[in-house]
Amino acid sequence: MTRAVQLAIAAVIGGAAAVERKGALQLMLSRPLALGPLLGAALGDVRGGLTIGVPLELLFLGAVNLGATLPDNETIAASCAVAAAVLAGQDTHIGVDETTATLAIALFLPTAVLGRRLERLTEGINRRLAARARATIAAQPARAIRLHLGGLLAPFLAGAAYTGIAAALAPFLAALRRGLDHHLVQGLEIGWIFFLAVCCASAVRAIRDARAPSFAAMASGAIALVTLAVKILHWRSP
Amino acid sequence: MTAPVRFGAFLRLRVFLRSLLLQASWNREGMQNLGFAYVLYPALCRLYPEGPARVAALQRHLDFFNCHPYLAAAVVGGALRLEERVAMGEVPAEAVPAYKRALGPPFAALGDAFFWGALRPATGLAGVLVALIAPSARPVWALATFLGLYNAIHLSARAWLFVHGYASPEGVVGALGAVHLPDSTSLIKATAATLAGAVAATLAVAGGWPIQTHHAVRAAIVVIAAYAILPKLGPYFTALAALAVGVAIGVATG
Repeated sequence: MTRAVQLAIAAVIGGAAAVERKGALQLMLSRPLALGPLLGAALGDVRGGLTIGVPLELLFLGAVNLGATLPDNETIAASCAVAAAVLAGQDTHIGVDETTATLAIALFLPTAVLGRRLERLTEGINRRLAARARATIAAQPARAIRLHLGGLLAPFLAGAAYTGIAAALAPFLAALRRGLDHHLVQGLEIGWIFFLAVCCASAVRAIRDARAPSFAAMASGAIALVTLAVKILHWRSP
Repeated sequence: MTAPVRFGAFLRLRVFLRSLLLQASWNREGMQNLGFAYVLYPALCRLYPEGPARVAALQRHLDFFNCHPYLAAAVVGGALRLEERVAMGEVPAEAVPAYKRALGPPFAALGDAFFWGALRPATGLAGVLVALIAPSARPVWALATFLGLYNAIHLSARAWLFVHGYASPEGVVGALGAVHLPDSTSLIKATAATLAGAVAATLAVAGGWPIQTHHAVRAAIVVIAAYAILPKLGPYFTALAALAVGVAIGVATG
């Protein structure tokens, strides 16, 4: 598969995911946990997509579109980070290791905020579409109703543009990854652990229930103790 | 008055499928208003010939409407049935917008709490856990767990609500009440919290616990600190701050 084809595939999937997120279906195909491996598979590295999709899913687990509130756009962040990391991993022949994943997330996490702003713009376009439909419905009802589907265009174009640009930046990410010295690689590995820790905390917060911290602490404590007990038994056995 | 009419299965299916696009033109002013008119359009075309009657029917759906996109299926089904009755002269046209106004907000609250607040986090965490505990397995299992569990409930709920709404517009509230959604929400949230703890512990085990205890202790401190500062900084800035601190520690101790 040539790089141009990969860029086109990334852009189309990024655009489709942006549409699926709110405008159509909402089957959760645009959530990072689903989008990561799907986009990764389309670009040739399903596991690399999952490596980035898992923490982003946890981080944005509480991103909820309640009424008029707009959360950060986890779909655009995931599609950009996965497209760039998977293609960079292919360029470096390392794949999506923890260092590449950390770099991709650090570089493309801000697109979650940009995506949210873009969604506000989309709402403005949709408001105008609805106003136009209201104004023209008496004269051309079928055409006025079809304007509804025009609302899918802006998110598609935005998602495609963001993901396409991120994928095109993969050689830059690969060069950055290759140029890292040993200290920075170690730093990024610890940064990855800290990032995962924040993702876990964010997941507990996302549940919005007073009992959530206690339940989570009990479950993690129980698993940690069982693991410790298993290890002790293993060490003691001849 | 139009002759008595009952929508056929194909038309109802068509309306249901169009309801999957309800939010395509979501906007802050009318929210799902144009979407609702789009969803019912084939039915209104069947009821009214081209002309002022059809336009009037479409116009009553261009008023403000907001609901949870999944639970809106019940309102769509109910409005579809009421439109039949309006066309037959059994109820006044105002009954349809009144029905939508009455059901939209409470159904939105129920759907937000159940689907966004409980089911999605729980199924997402289940998928993440599968991805972590079986890293050698195909990633498709993580995907299948998340999408399979979520959509089995989501799609059957949407279809069930639409069918019930159409069968009995007035009875759909009672039918939904019998499901005890708030109780299920509470139970699923407890499950989600337990899964979140299991995910954190699985990551700690993958990171070296209990052999490299210092890594796990350091990560646990970050989890607690992040939990405290997340409401102030939000996930985006907290994540970037943690990345920066981690890199600084790694470089300094390297």
